[in-house]
Amino acid sequence: MWRWRLLPAGRGPGGLTVPRAGLKKFQQPPDYSGIVLPERTKLKFLEKVPAVPKVKREPRQLRDIRGPSREATDFTQGQYGILALGGGYLHWGHLEMIRLTIGRCMNPKTTFAIWRVPAPCKPLTRKSLGHRMGGGKGPIDRYVTPVRSGRLLLELGGRCEFGEVEPFLMQVAKKLPFPAVPVSRDSLSRMRQELEEKRLNNQNPWTFERVVTANMLGMRKYLSPYDLRFQGRYWGKFFLKHRV
Amino acid sequence: MAALSGRSPWRRGWLPALQLVRRGSKAVTRHWKAMHFQRQKLMAVTEYVAPRPAVPPRCLAPTEEDPQEDNGYARLLRRQVQEVFRDNRMIAICQYNSMPGEDMMLMRHYLRKHNIEVKFVLNEIVRPVLSQSKYRNLLPLFVARNILLVSPETKAREMLRVLRGVPQINLLGACIDDTILSRQGVESFAKLPSLETAQGQALGALGLLPSQTSSVLQRCSAHLTALLDQHIRQLQDKETGSQAEPSPAPQSSGTH
Repeated sequence: MWRWRLLPAGRGPGGLTVPRAGLKKFQQPPDYSGIVLPERTKLKFLEKVPAVPKVKREPRQLRDIRGPSREATDFTQGQYGILALGGGYLHWGHLEMIRLTIGRCMNPKTTFAIWRVPAPCKPLTRKSLGHRMGGGKGPIDRYVTPVRSGRLLLELGGRCEFGEVEPFLMQVAKKLPFPAVPVSRDSLSRMRQELEEKRLNNQNPWTFERVVTANMLGMRKYLSPYDLRFQGRYWGKFFLKHRV
Repeated sequence: MAALSGRSPWRRGWLPALQLVRRGSKAVTRHWKAMHFQRQKLMAVTEYVAPRPAVPPRCLAPTEEDPQEDNGYARLLRRQVQEVFRDNRMIAICQYNSMPGEDMMLMRHYLRKHNIEVKFVLNEIVRPVLSQSKYRNLLPLFVARNILLVSPETKAREMLRVLRGVPQINLLGACIDDTILSRQGVESFAKLPSLETAQGQALGALGLLPSQTSSVLQRCSAHLTALLDQHIRQLQDKETGSQAEPSPAPQSSGTH
């Protein structure tokens, strides 16, 4: 089996190089023997309002956006997914967009998708337009799902490769209210490994962690107690990717 | 004043119990909240500094990872090349320039008539095979596109005749009976007579001297035999002549 390699004839110390054909290296097709597809492969429909709507209006509690995520950080069933790189709220519109786009782009016979994010459960209030301050808390306007950075939003699996799945996952990731990126099991583990290596081979003797834990120069006056936990990698709802 | 009137004047500083928020925005905002200048300085000081090796990696020789040849197809092709070199007496390597398909077909047909096969080989397969076998000196020929003309017999003259009619195939060299020949060597090999005639000529040359010796030794007796035969014939002619005319026979017998 010939494979034509179009090399431009270049001049070198040995003389003129002539374009030549090489042997095509056939790769083994991937082994999908251990994959079991669930009954319903498409994403489940998530309700806009929970079945039992909340009567008591809840305080804002923006700390559910702040900092790294503790749940849904690793893959369970699928191989590919979308990783959130920032905090934010997902409302029903976002979830529908995700569900419909994924449902349109994936093949339900060979791939499956599962939610890693619950249906909207946190009520947000909004005061009616044009009124002055005061008069109590506004009524419940909508429900949202809080998402922290480092959380997986959905998982995709089945008889498919990352290259096939990445385009529409990227399409979805761009439309989310926080920065997100499509990942696979390999790419996620590689990301974490690179972070570890960076932490180990950092040539800067001064690290945020060191300064904060020792309270050098009284820095903790200008920092929050949360910075002990976040180590300078999170600021508000934002995740600073370039920081170590 | 009230603070200073204790036992030890102002032993340590104190943080207010309730931190008054002067600016008005919370910790988590939709916009990028402006950092305190001290915090900005801290972030700038504690940035990641990448390691810088003493020798930049592009100055070092590139470490090429050898591709593992687990390709079954490559193994099969290498085995085929080894069989070709083992089973055929004549292997000619020619440069192959692209030629029309029909000309190629005709050439292969003419060569097939003389039991010569045309084989296309890939350099990346042949080179490792040859470098480990005894045909190491053929390696410089396997550069750029080439074909092998292989045959269990050594019909160099017919091969050259066919190749002369095809300008796109140029003979580079050949290995005939484990002897590496260049192009000129192949041409002179083609001009040689065939093995049987050469053997006959050699035998003839070798047998020339003994045959001469035997003829020299036998010359005297052969000469005597010839003379006696002639004498007998003359006597016989005389007897037939005397029966026809009975007088002149005794005079002629006295002179011999």
